[in-house]
Amino acid sequence: MSPEPLPPVYYRRLADRRARFEQLVLPHMDAAYNLARWLTRNDQDARDVVQDAVLRAFRFLDGLRGEAKPWLLTLVRNSCMSWLKANRPSELVAMDPDSAELQRVEHQTPETLALNALDRRLLNEALAALPACFREALILREMEDLAYKDIARITDVPIGTVMSRLARGRRLLADSMRAISRASTARVRE
Amino acid sequence: MNRDEADREISAAIRDHADYHAAPASLVSDIMSALPAVPEEAPRRPRWQYWLAQTAAMASVAVVTWAATMGYLRPGEDDRLATEILASHVRATLGKRLYDVASSDQHTVKPWLSARLAYSPPVSDLSTQGFELLGARLDHVSGQQVAVLVYKRRQHIVETYVWPARARTAAVSLKRDGFNIEHFAAGEMDFWLVSDLNRNELGDFARLLAQQATSL
Repeated sequence: MSPEPLPPVYYRRLADRRARFEQLVLPHMDAAYNLARWLTRNDQDARDVVQDAVLRAFRFLDGLRGEAKPWLLTLVRNSCMSWLKANRPSELVAMDPDSAELQRVEHQTPETLALNALDRRLLNEALAALPACFREALILREMEDLAYKDIARITDVPIGTVMSRLARGRRLLADSMRAISRASTARVRE
Repeated sequence: MNRDEADREISAAIRDHADYHAAPASLVSDIMSALPAVPEEAPRRPRWQYWLAQTAAMASVAVVTWAATMGYLRPGEDDRLATEILASHVRATLGKRLYDVASSDQHTVKPWLSARLAYSPPVSDLSTQGFELLGARLDHVSGQQVAVLVYKRRQHIVETYVWPARARTAAVSLKRDGFNIEHFAAGEMDFWLVSDLNRNELGDFARLLAQQATSL
């Protein structure tokens, strides 16, 4: 069963779009994968999510206005959320920053955090354990160096919320690292 | 340590020490191959047609440009040259200086011109056809030094301006102020003839010169 031959204009548009895709979307594949990997916390899931998002990016490429990176990351983030909703709905509860558990850890002061003793493993564990809404804001800000307005657009919240989530996320991360560090020190003593 | 410093430290820690997960090369290649591909045999034709269309478009632009050049610029240029040559001819016939070298011998005239110009214009002996070579002079036409061969037909002076052809030009035949002017290109040279000789005989002379120039 051979498909109906399509008009030449279809191939020309397709070729144009492919060229545009390679020019605009491909340069941000690392950012796309990094965000997906930090949100799904799993290589295979990140692959699936990125593939889904990037193929949608190709389909909707004509709708791209402005910068490609925030646009692509919005698609990636949406794919991640759909994926989490379908596969790990419990994690999305942590998207609500007003949950009681978060309130409890927040009033700890950061000065006891021993950043000199910081090691990668500890930091990565703490970041991965952070509730998704703080994690995504920190990934986009610190790793992708995006502007607040771009993060607001990607995560679909007002700029003020982005700023407060970043501040709280940093403090939560510091607290959590200190907690992990204390726990492991305690284990060593035992 | 205050809060701002702590924030800066944790920012720096994430920037410098958190894992950055770059897209695996296999993921990029998977995505590229998952993109809607242009079918195997189909892309050639559209691409071929695309290039054909491009070529046709470029060709039509070239034709339009050429037509514009021929239709507007060239006659403008020809017009200017005809005016200049006619003026030069009139000055020469009114004044005393019709030629710098007086000789009916082409083997005298040609070396004389070659020695003074960056090119060697063809000099034809057409005395048997009724055009007597009187001599030659140098003149200035559009800022360059050109050879002017002076012939005589009965009592009519026929001047032939010759210089290396710079571009393909169409033949021109026109009448102005009672003078006939003929232009043609032959043997890599541009020829401009001007005379008060009648149009038919000047045309004959032009054809004779063109034949000689091409056979040289």
